Amino acid sequence: MSELAVQPRHNVRFLVAGFVPYLLAVVAAFLAAGIFIAAMGFNVPEAYSSILFTSFRTPTAFIQTLLKFVPLMLMALGFAVPLKANKFNIGLEGQLILGAIGATAAGILLADLPAFLLLPMAILAGILFGALWAALPAWLLYRFNINEILTTVLMNFVAFSLMDYIATEVWGDPGAGHPTTIPIAPGAYMPLLVSSPPLNAGILIALLTAVVVYIYTNRTVSGYELGATGSNPRASMVYGINTRTMFLLSLIIGGALAGLAGAIEVTGVQHRLIEGMQSNYLQLGIIIGLIAKGNIRAIPLVAFFIAVLEVGASAMQRTMMIPVEIVFIVEALILIFILLADVIRRR
Amino acid sequence: MEGIGAQVVSLAKLVMLTMVPYVLASQGTMLAGRTGLFNVAQEGVMLVGASVAFLVAYLSGSLFYGLLAAALAGGLFGLALAYFTTTLKVNQFVIGLALFFTGLGLSTLLYKYVIGVTLQPPLIPTLGDVAIPGLSRIPFVGEILFDQNVLVYFAILLSIFLYYLLYRTSLGLELRAIGENPKAADSLGISIPIYRYVTAIVGGMLIGLAGAYLPMVYTGTFTAGIVKGRGWLAIALTFFGGWAPHLIFFGSLFFAGIEVLAFRVQVRGVAIPYQFLLMLPYVATMLIMIFASKRVGIPAALGLNYDRERRTLLD
Repeated sequence: MSELAVQPRHNVRFLVAGFVPYLLAVVAAFLAAGIFIAAMGFNVPEAYSSILFTSFRTPTAFIQTLLKFVPLMLMALGFAVPLKANKFNIGLEGQLILGAIGATAAGILLADLPAFLLLPMAILAGILFGALWAALPAWLLYRFNINEILTTVLMNFVAFSLMDYIATEVWGDPGAGHPTTIPIAPGAYMPLLVSSPPLNAGILIALLTAVVVYIYTNRTVSGYELGATGSNPRASMVYGINTRTMFLLSLIIGGALAGLAGAIEVTGVQHRLIEGMQSNYLQLGIIIGLIAKGNIRAIPLVAFFIAVLEVGASAMQRTMMIPVEIVFIVEALILIFILLADVIRRR
Repeated sequence: MEGIGAQVVSLAKLVMLTMVPYVLASQGTMLAGRTGLFNVAQEGVMLVGASVAFLVAYLSGSLFYGLLAAALAGGLFGLALAYFTTTLKVNQFVIGLALFFTGLGLSTLLYKYVIGVTLQPPLIPTLGDVAIPGLSRIPFVGEILFDQNVLVYFAILLSIFLYYLLYRTSLGLELRAIGENPKAADSLGISIPIYRYVTAIVGGMLIGLAGAYLPMVYTGTFTAGIVKGRGWLAIALTFFGGWAPHLIFFGSLFFAGIEVLAFRVQVRGVAIPYQFLLMLPYVATMLIMIFASKRVGIPAALGLNYDRERRTLLD
């Protein structure tokens, strides 16, 4: 079994052949969006220099980029693992919210625990809540064969209302002026790696998680069966793999990863539940997962690149008044051009 | 205090009004789905429809031009979907999601570019009711069915037309055959690309119109959160409507009923926290999908591209 999972050795030619279409797709996306930006009357070189280089100009911006990178990479992993089984987890947003709720609940309810227990409890609660939120659609798929794209999405909308309820009625902070909970106990705060500007240890957990996910998908029997289920369900079934269980498992793992992202946001960055804290991580996580074509090793790189674009785009909106949505179009275009590159390569 | 009869009439009228975006988006989804083309970009296409309809109506002063522009924009998204899946054979879900993202970004971008950031949102007049002479005078039924905005009439007629097209014409038979068995349809000489292109474009136009309905009837303006999951609900509705126009129509009525109910209860200030009422449509949808899962079918080739040279279905 295990020798089947060994990847082909990557020689230089293979790397170049894999990388060049990506580079061309990125350039093409920037060119296409550039025409659009120019047509809207904005200064294209200035806008692009802001988008691409802001992250590397100041320590603050660089750390901001790393802080964005963490949830983006985890969300992308949460999309990529079910994608291995050919399942689409569009419920990452709700799963992240539930992870954030879990961590907040632990950080408030268990406030008396010592820090060495409280922080792990908060993170575990986040992972568990995220996994459970994904488990319901996963079970509906397993038991009734209901399309997971729909049910995972619908769970997002339920999560929005639940978040609003918790941030206003349960632990609401009336002084905040926006649906927000009271802060979690300081014992649940993630320790800092760099104190100013603050960078929390969540990035270490995230990178470690990426390694674990890689080992699981590429070096274990279960991970191999997951990939086999996705590429040829019928053959896998004949071979004796319980494909429905693999679908179920992959979605629950995806939910756990998104839940971890939410827990890190709460314990590391916000220290409370804030409505809207999930930002546009769902869309970006999916885009990253699709750009990386589900390749676990490529995901951290793509996630970092997208984090750079995002931080650069907000700077561009602040300084040049160019709508930040431009960069979202660039990201969608990168994905579309990569799909096109695949089509050309197939011919 | 108005009488119970009048209350029921006004409630029923409201349900008919609320049904429209569900009907349009779902029938659009169904149409392409019946040829095996599964569109998952609804949420994004509806946003573009809402944004474009609002902007064009605002700038031109004509609601009709707004509707036309929304249909055109939706049609373009449908064309892109058909091109990528039917001609280029890209995975339907992947390109669908990519188009969803494009729509998500484009809708707000266009609004910000044309309107900018304002304290007070600019408004367009909402679509007025058009009473049908004679029929609207029938007690009860007249007010509910024949004193509505034009898109309510359009949604009803569209559903009847699609039912007729699908089940009573040879065109409809061919269309359904492609979704069930593309290989067999192909060997009968039915052009799969033509059917998929046309249904994707027309379906996209309907989804764009569904989006246009939101600013034109509900809000009078565009906001990034205006669609609020209706695009995804429309897909769910198409599923438990068994990809059949008549069932989709009744399903839309049911959805509209839940939406109106949740809103009414919220306004009345019932003891349930309003957040749980807001969850109602999504939870109800999942419950219905469980009940429908054993009873309704889906087109066998749904979500699969057809490779004519190799005569096989592709993921």
